[in-house]
Amino acid sequence: MADRPYLTFSDLALCNLSRRPFRAAGLILLVAVMAFVLFGGSLIVYSLFNGTDALGKRLGADILIVPKGYDQKVEGILLRGEPGAFYMDAAWLDKIAAVEGVRAVSPQLFVASLNASCCAMPVQLIGFEQKTDFVVGPWLKTARPGGLADGDIIVGGAIAGQIGDTIKFFDRDYRIAAKMDRTGSGFDASVFMNMAAAETAAADCAAVGGTPPPAAGAISSLMVTVDEGYTAGGVTGRINSEFGYGSSGIVVLAAKTIINSVSGGLRAIVAFAGALAALLWVLSLLVLSVVFSVVLNERKREFGILRSLGATRRRLVSIVFLESGLVSLAGSAAGVFLAALFILPFRAYIQDIAGMPYIQPSPGQFAGLAAASLLLAFAVGPLASLFSAGKISRGDAYAAIREGEA
Amino acid sequence: MILTARALRKEYSRGGRPFLALDDVSLSLAAGEFVCLTGRSGSGKSTLLNILAGLITPDSGSVSFAGREYGAMDDKELSQLRNTRLGYIMQGHSLLPNFTVLQNVILPRVLFRRADDPAPRALELLEQTGIRQLSAQYPASLSGGELRRAAIARALLPAPELLLADEPTGDLDEETAAEIMRIFAAVAEKGTAVLMATHDAEAVNYGRRRLTMKSGRLV
Repeated sequence: MADRPYLTFSDLALCNLSRRPFRAAGLILLVAVMAFVLFGGSLIVYSLFNGTDALGKRLGADILIVPKGYDQKVEGILLRGEPGAFYMDAAWLDKIAAVEGVRAVSPQLFVASLNASCCAMPVQLIGFEQKTDFVVGPWLKTARPGGLADGDIIVGGAIAGQIGDTIKFFDRDYRIAAKMDRTGSGFDASVFMNMAAAETAAADCAAVGGTPPPAAGAISSLMVTVDEGYTAGGVTGRINSEFGYGSSGIVVLAAKTIINSVSGGLRAIVAFAGALAALLWVLSLLVLSVVFSVVLNERKREFGILRSLGATRRRLVSIVFLESGLVSLAGSAAGVFLAALFILPFRAYIQDIAGMPYIQPSPGQFAGLAAASLLLAFAVGPLASLFSAGKISRGDAYAAIREGEA
Repeated sequence: MILTARALRKEYSRGGRPFLALDDVSLSLAAGEFVCLTGRSGSGKSTLLNILAGLITPDSGSVSFAGREYGAMDDKELSQLRNTRLGYIMQGHSLLPNFTVLQNVILPRVLFRRADDPAPRALELLEQTGIRQLSAQYPASLSGGELRRAAIARALLPAPELLLADEPTGDLDEETAAEIMRIFAAVAEKGTAVLMATHDAEAVNYGRRRLTMKSGRLV
């Protein structure tokens, strides 16, 4: 500024901020922290909502049936991709199919891989019945109309490898025939294969000291859809009453219950993130209001001088708003940028901590969230300076000069 | 008359008690007139100058500049008048510390921007006031006399029709005070009406007319 004789209006504001660099930096930092929490929080919450939504869509079934005692385990498989293996009698398939209100039933067979060439961690192998499946089947018909041949697998979005690559499980090669989009759920770390291939994998697993092999024709779970006019809750109750709740050796889970347990956890996160962001927003507003008010008292003489040189009251108010706006803009931009920098690369870590499906927003959604956070964080500065601006617009210039001298 | 004030009255509250700063003050200034306003501290000189500059609103009475009453102008009109037709040198130091001398002098033009470059005229005024070599300096490195000269240069930037100066030689040595008075006299010669409040007995000699205030009244 010293190098050029000309001053611009914004120089007046910039100059005042640079006169107190530590104070300006402190205010910018405060807004930045608030913007970080605001944007970071909304990014995480939005990603969890996306994940839950995708899980609901991917699950495809209204009811899940697993062996008694494995309801928590199946949630781990579905939500977090924690590999597991458990078995029940395949006779349940016909028994459940005969229950009133059941439209379709399809079995799945779970095998937990040991180390595989694709992955640093064991993954979940899921065998499905191609003829009856409605979970992977409809998607597979579009992605690979010919269906799965023996030795072909479908991999989740988090599994390394592309279509045509070969992955080894229990020293046996499998060819990637299709790859699913990320869902943010346990499906991302799952590998789907036909039932025969899954039975072979289960036997291979047992042979190398893994989970003992299932009995011939055993299954791990049944995926059930209900007929129109029936509810998942109603059919669940009917299955329980028909086969004896607690004594049948199976657990009947409404898919919505699983989703709701995720949603319940999500609501708690939303409440916490929302409260923290609101608290920081109000705190920023209060601190900035106090600081701007103190600054105004320090600068009474300066404003009086500007007034004597012909500044209108509106002009003085503009200077105050410009200064607070610059602080807000710098802080909110820094906060949003840092939130993106710190949160985007740690998707897997956040998902791990949250233990919930997690899908980051699309670029459009990301831009929308960033813009909304930026706007909300930016608003703090001008709002905080409203009181000071009002005081200036009503003030007497001579009184300001005299008070400034005191 | 360039400036006319009629029956001005202004009361302040001082320590919770009413204090009459101006009581029925009327005066007129013609173009090119150099008038000195004297009186003891607290006699109402600064209050009068601030009312004439449009910075304070009197409790009663009126001020008109070139035939237009301040009371009939809105804030923008009055501010523009201060910016373009009136120069005001306030008591004490009035430069903004974060700007250079030159930037301070052109400051009025930042508030009401016009197309032409104010720097050549600002430098010319700094030359006239004898501190052109200090144009790139910050106020903190200037002496009291140099600060006052810079304030004068700033007040003269718009080529004002009326120059109001509140104790412009208050803390200056005799030689510097005399130089400033010569500047004022030259400005008045060129047609600007000058009203200067002062305690300085020497400075009074430069004025063509002298007004004295006592307890808020012109005597």
